[in-house]
Amino acid sequence: MKTEQLSKTSIVSSSKQNIVSDMGGEKVMLSVTNGNYYNLGHIGGHIWDAIAEPISIEELINTLMEQFEVDREQCESHVESFLDHLRKEGLILVHEQDSSAVKA
Amino acid sequence: MKKTWQQPQLEVLNVNQAK
Repeated sequence: MKTEQLSKTSIVSSSKQNIVSDMGGEKVMLSVTNGNYYNLGHIGGHIWDAIAEPISIEELINTLMEQFEVDREQCESHVESFLDHLRKEGLILVHEQDSSAVKA
Repeated sequence: MKKTWQQPQLEVLNVNQAK
């Protein structure tokens, strides 16, 4: 378990151990590893799509700011909190700088 | 045209569950 705080330079990607489906514009997911169902919501679904491949949180925020009407400070706060929750549920991978993946 | 931002939330829909 990786416990250090996520930062803007952290590189994250979605775990492939999940079955994901779109339902009414919201993304829902079944974790194969823990058997739980999750609703990522509309914005969460956008974030999930954006982290399909390893991406730094800073780059992710830049991408989202191009798509959504939001100021940087609020976007950073919301995205880091959301990713931290995903990590605690074991749904994302956090990569070291040498690009080796660490299970969240 | 940018879309409206809402805070992303992860909703846990269920938690698996021992005479």
